[in-house]
Parts: sequence; C-alpha cells; structure tokens
Amino acid sequence: MEVNLVEEGFKFMVLGMSIVFLFLILLIVAMNIMSKIVHRYFPEPQAAQTPSSPVQEGGDKLKKVAAIAAAIHHNKSK
Amino acid sequence: MKTLMIKLLLALSLFGAVSATASEAHTVAAHSVPAVQEKAYESHSVGHMLVNFAKSTGVYAILNPDPNELSSVGKPMNDFHKGWGRVIMILIAFLLFYLAIAKGFEPLLLLPIGFGGLLANIPVANIAGAHGFLGVIYQMGLANEFFPIVIFMGVGAMTDFGPLLSNPKTALLGGAAQFGIFGTLVGAVALTQYTDMVDFTLKQASAISIIGGADGPTSIYIATKLAPELLGAIAVASYSYMALVPIIQPPIMKALTNDKERKIKMTTLRHVSRMEKLIFPVMVLVLAILVLPDSTPLIGAFAFGNFLKESGVVERLSDTLQNALINITTIFLGLGVGSKLAADQFLVGDTLAILALGLIAFSVGTAAGVLMAKLMNLFPGHKINPLIGSAGVSAVPMAARVSNKVGMEYDRSNMLLMHAMGPNVAGVIGSAVAAGVMISIFA
Repeated sequence: MEVNLVEEGFKFMVLGMSIVFLFLILLIVAMNIMSKIVHRYFPEPQAAQTPSSPVQEGGDKLKKVAAIAAAIHHNKSK
Repeated sequence: MKTLMIKLLLALSLFGAVSATASEAHTVAAHSVPAVQEKAYESHSVGHMLVNFAKSTGVYAILNPDPNELSSVGKPMNDFHKGWGRVIMILIAFLLFYLAIAKGFEPLLLLPIGFGGLLANIPVANIAGAHGFLGVIYQMGLANEFFPIVIFMGVGAMTDFGPLLSNPKTALLGGAAQFGIFGTLVGAVALTQYTDMVDFTLKQASAISIIGGADGPTSIYIATKLAPELLGAIAVASYSYMALVPIIQPPIMKALTNDKERKIKMTTLRHVSRMEKLIFPVMVLVLAILVLPDSTPLIGAFAFGNFLKESGVVERLSDTLQNALINITTIFLGLGVGSKLAADQFLVGDTLAILALGLIAFSVGTAAGVLMAKLMNLFPGHKINPLIGSAGVSAVPMAARVSNKVGMEYDRSNMLLMHAMGPNVAGVIGSAVAAGVMISIFA
C-alpha cells in the first residue's frame, strides 16, 4: 500500500506540536499553582531573613565607617 | 588368550568412541566459529614471510581491498569503501580534530567522536566490528540507548530551573522552537516524495529532524532507536550545529526583529524558593507520566539528576553525576558514535542530505522561537524581548549566551542571560517531549 509521506509528515507535525504545547501549557499552569501553594503554606525562612539581613548589613556598614573614620583620625593625628 | 582379546576389543571400541565424540566436538566448533580453526604452523622462507607481512600492512589493504571483507554490521562493502573511502574518513577525522582543538567546536564530544571515527576506519584491525573495542562500546551502551540517558541525568544535575520558575510563560518559547523538528520532518519526507535525491523512510526522517531540537543526547537516543544506520551522520551534524549556534543564530534573530524589539528590557526575575525548585523535577515527571509515558526515559533521567541536585542532601551523588559520571559516559558515547563513522556508513549520499536538513531544522527552530516571542507580545502582560526566543532550542547554555550577546550589541545595559535561560531549559523539556511523541508514533 502506498502511503503519502508528506501527508504523514504533516500529521506528525500537528500531533507533535500540539502535544509539546499541551505539555508545556500544563507545565506553566502547574508551575503557577505550585508556586502559589509554596508561597502560601511554606513561606520559607527567607521572609524572616530578608528583614534581618539589611540590619546586619547596616551594622557592618557602621563598623566600616567607624573603622575608616578611626584610620583617618589616626593618620591625621600623626 | 580369549579374555585378552576381549579386553583389547573393549579398549579399542572405547578409544574409538572417545575419538569419535572428540572429532564431533571439533567439527561443531569448526562450524560455529570457522575463524578459530587453527592452521598448523608451516615453515616458510624469510622471503615468503616478508611477502606475507607486506600483504598484512595497511598500505596493501587500502590499495588491494580484501574481496571477502565484510563491514562492521556484516554486509558486503564495495572496493571504494574498503580502500580510499577509509582514507577520506581518516582525513574527516583530522578535520574534526582541527575544528575541536583550533576552533573550539564542542571539543568534549567532537574529539572522542573524531578519534572513534579514525579508529573505526583502520583496515584489517576491524576495531568497530563485533569483537573490536569500539564495537563492544557500541553494543554496551549505544545499541541499547543507555549512554544518552546517563548523559541526560548529568545534564539534569547541572540545570537550574530557577529562571523558568520565576517566569513560567517563557516555557512557550521552548515549545515553539520544536517546530524546527517537525518542520524539517515534513521537509525530509517531501524531498523523498518529490525528488530522487534521497530516499528516507518516515523513521529515518524523524531521526534526522530531531537534530532541530539542538539536543545532542536526545538526537543520539532517537537515532539509535529509529535509524541506527544514520547515527554517525546525525550525531556529527547535531554536535557540529550546536557548536555553530553563535554563527547560525544571530543573523536569523536580527532578520526577524526590529531595533525597538531588540531593546526591550525585561522585568527582573523574582526570587525562587528552594521548595519550588525541589518540587519542580517531580512535577515535570508526574506530568510526563500522565500525558506521555513514552517520554519518561528521557524526562525521568533528567528529573532524577535535577532532583538529586535540588535536594541538597546528596552533594556527593549530584557531584558525581555532574562530573565523573558524565565525563566517563561522554568518552564512551563519543567513541561509540565514532564507530559509526566507518566509510561504508558515512560516505553515502544520505549524509550530505542529513547535514543540510539538520541545518534547516536548526534555523527553523531558531526562527520559530523568535516569532513566538513576538506573538506573545501581542497579548497583554510583561513584554518579552524576542531575542530570548532563539534560546528555545535546547543547546544549553550556548543559545542563552547568544541571546545575551546579541542583546548587548544593541543595549549595553540589557542583560538577557538569565531571562534566556528560562526558554533554554524549557527547550530541553520540549525536545524530550517531541522525542517521546516520535517514540509513541512508532511504538
């Protein structure tokens, strides 16, 4: 039996592209739902870390400023 | 006297029986493995031995091909493939060395493939034959599609899905780029149907078109499954074009976009929590199980590698997958693919058609990704820079780097790399799904 190859090729294309897109669209939906659930029920220690880290950084900065000021003062007083 | 005679007769009959069974065993052995039948050593003059030695040299074998020699798959070969064809293939192996070393084209794979090709074309030694070591490597891990799967585990362990998770809709770009695969499939069968240049079956056309997915292990996986006779050409085309991404893609990307689109700045990516990254590989696998179980060998291996990495508790295993295991497998995979570069399998008209179709597949995939990004910009929501569309072909992370580089050409401050990684890793999943579709069609 003779098969029209080009016709078969087009069938493959329609089937293949629709399944690839179907899969990825499902994946996008699942990703969105998953991240909502994760953010809702597992808010991560990050939420707690974020406010604390600037304070630490601020403290570090103050220390640096103090160190620099001390160094300048030390140089000047020489 | 009489007893003596009987004893003698008994002894004789016993001896006869033993020798009969022995000779039977001998003939059986000789029938099954004729090559093992040992010749009695004959004494020759020095001159005669020198002539015999000269006849066993490579020069003699190339100039006077052995009429009884069979190819590594046990088919008769013509004299060209036994003689000068091998010389040409060895020169092609040298060309691959040059491209890998001097030009930096995917050296990790092209060097083992090139050297495998060199070894496979040595006359007399039959290294790629069933009992040669390349043949053994091929049987061990390529004929049963094992090595590409191991590579996929390693790739999974090296992939970070963070950029995709923070901007999920870019996954569509990775889907659009798979159009390169199916578009080329139609092209390949159309060539077969309407011209006399090539004669590909549907399986062969499918195996060739998967080059458009720009994913080496997937190409090798599908080629060994659907058209092992074309494996050498498909693997070489696939890895060569992956190396050529920075040359092939930019002109297409520039031709399909205008200046304003190329300067689109994308919103910064949100932070992705560890929990999301940990759930993601399992989620992809569950989806694959539900929608397309035929894709699970590839996606399952990929998810396994990624899960080990994101779990954070098996640093040693994840490290082995990313380094030791993938390196060992790459050596074997390269040599095994190289064994298919024997002259009788590579120096055929089909190879040129495969190289040409592979290039088309690659370009169409790139173009489809860019056009998809432009299509998505017609809808409301955050705008997407179409330059990241080209990263939908899965050559990770080369394609994403190219998007970044082209973007920087037009706006120094526009960093697209992380945005392009999203479609890039989605492209890996997309081409694995496309491969699953092909497998399910021919199952």
